[in-house]
Amino acid sequence: MKRRSNDWIVGTTIIVVMVGIVFSTLFLQQAEFGKKPELVTAHFRDVGGVQVGNAVVIRGVVSGRVKQIALAPNNWVLISMEINEGTLMPADPVVLVQAATLFGEWQAIITSRTAVPVNREVDAQLAEVDGAPEGSLRGAVLPDIAQLTTVAGGIAGNVASVSERVRTAFNDTAARELRRSIRDFSVLSRDLATAVKVQSRNLDSLAATARLSFADVATSANALQRTMGRVDSATSQGEVQEILRQSRQASQNLRNATERFESLSRSLVSTEANLKSVVGKADSIFGRIERGQGSLGLLVNDPSLYQNSDSLLIDLRKLVVDFRSDPKKYINVRIF
Amino acid sequence: MFESIGRVVREALEAFGQAGSLAAEAGRSARDLKTWGPNFSQQARALGVNSLPIGILIALFTGVVLALLASYSFTGAVPRYLVGTLVQKTVMMELAPVLTGLALAGRVGANIAAELGTMTVTEQVDALETLGYDPVAYLVVPRILAGVLMFPVVVGAAMFVGLGAGWAASLGLLDMTTSEFLKGARLFFDGFDVRYGLVKSASFGFAVTLLGCTNGLRAKGGAQGVGSSATQAVVQSAVMILVLDAFWAVVWLLGRAA
Repeated sequence: MKRRSNDWIVGTTIIVVMVGIVFSTLFLQQAEFGKKPELVTAHFRDVGGVQVGNAVVIRGVVSGRVKQIALAPNNWVLISMEINEGTLMPADPVVLVQAATLFGEWQAIITSRTAVPVNREVDAQLAEVDGAPEGSLRGAVLPDIAQLTTVAGGIAGNVASVSERVRTAFNDTAARELRRSIRDFSVLSRDLATAVKVQSRNLDSLAATARLSFADVATSANALQRTMGRVDSATSQGEVQEILRQSRQASQNLRNATERFESLSRSLVSTEANLKSVVGKADSIFGRIERGQGSLGLLVNDPSLYQNSDSLLIDLRKLVVDFRSDPKKYINVRIF
Repeated sequence: MFESIGRVVREALEAFGQAGSLAAEAGRSARDLKTWGPNFSQQARALGVNSLPIGILIALFTGVVLALLASYSFTGAVPRYLVGTLVQKTVMMELAPVLTGLALAGRVGANIAAELGTMTVTEQVDALETLGYDPVAYLVVPRILAGVLMFPVVVGAAMFVGLGAGWAASLGLLDMTTSEFLKGARLFFDGFDVRYGLVKSASFGFAVTLLGCTNGLRAKGGAQGVGSSATQAVVQSAVMILVLDAFWAVVWLLGRAA
């Protein structure tokens, strides 16, 4: 009786635990009971890091698992995938394998040929697989994170090389010469301001002298007019009046010219003030540059900033070109 | 000092040599089904079924602690659902087999060594031989088979409970959702994880019961000798569990990763 009791308890325990383990395993594997999966095969030249058990995704939905990976004749790699029963395949399907997460998990995506991202390598792989045996899907591997980081590493190496070359060209001597040129330009600006100031004073003096001369001419013209009036009244011929009228007109013209000259002189004074202001500002800027203040000062006095900026521009240019040529390479990577 | 070290090493090697010899003898005696068959279910119940509570208790607390530890460690960019991944992988592949194995090494190994040691020092083993029974078939084979069969059962239950405890802790203490935890648990789950844990625990069961039987049958000198053999059995079993754990990791995990 005791032995039968032991048998029953041990047997029940074993069965219960085993059923629990099997159920848990199937639950975690997301096995679907009562459904018979369909088997789909695909030919690849290379399958990257795909492993048995990785997810098969159709239109973003996990629809099966990779069941088997095997080398096939003529340098093919054959992947067998179990697809859930009743799953509708896309038109003209192809299989793309790619990294699914940053943790080395891969997945196989079944998608339409027209939906494949534009990529020379992928196109070349699919074109090559066109010669695969009938009844099997075509497959290609998309670049994974490791490849992208390798490319990034190469770019970083190129940037470092360019930086080194720039450092060689833009050495301390070049920086000193550039600083000296800026100092010379500053001195030149100051000389120019002084010259403008002197010329402006000369013009002022000239204008004043001219104004006095014209005033004298006007006084003389008036005196002449009076004299000629008396002569005209004495002669009564009218010719002298005509001469006086023309003289008055000439005097008026000279006055107008004097006014215009004065206006020009005032403009010159204003221009001189503006020029002084500009030169002062330029002098201040050059002074800050020389002391290494501000972005331009840092650029001049710290070669590494210039080098980094130049490297960044080169890198960005390459990235933009690469992104234009293959945008899917950057936006296809999913994290988790 | 050199002599003491040499003696300790020699005795340890002797114990393992005797264990190997006893294993070979048990293999031969396993054909004698009539002798060990009636005792098997009793030993399976004593070693396995009665060990379930301690295995489940260990797994329960291990699962909770692992979930909290994972949540504490995974900060910043690491997604929280990886708590499920860590609990699943760690419980199934390592902690359930090893912690349960160590607990059973104390419970089962000491029990077997004390029981067989008492029988040896009171000459009950000799009496069995006199009565025409094969003591190895009668005493050793059912215990070893019970250990090999029932250790995976206890460990399987511990896996189940440990995962459930981690799940419950994630829901109750970490404000995670069931779908989050399951996403992580399923992300890297492989049937191999379960196979690896169960096969490893079967090897632990074999080592613990074999060393318990070996030390029990070697007992000499009364109660003190029985106590000493029980201690030796526990220590050797614990060491052997860790050695086997490393062995399976190198042989199976490393081979699979390559």
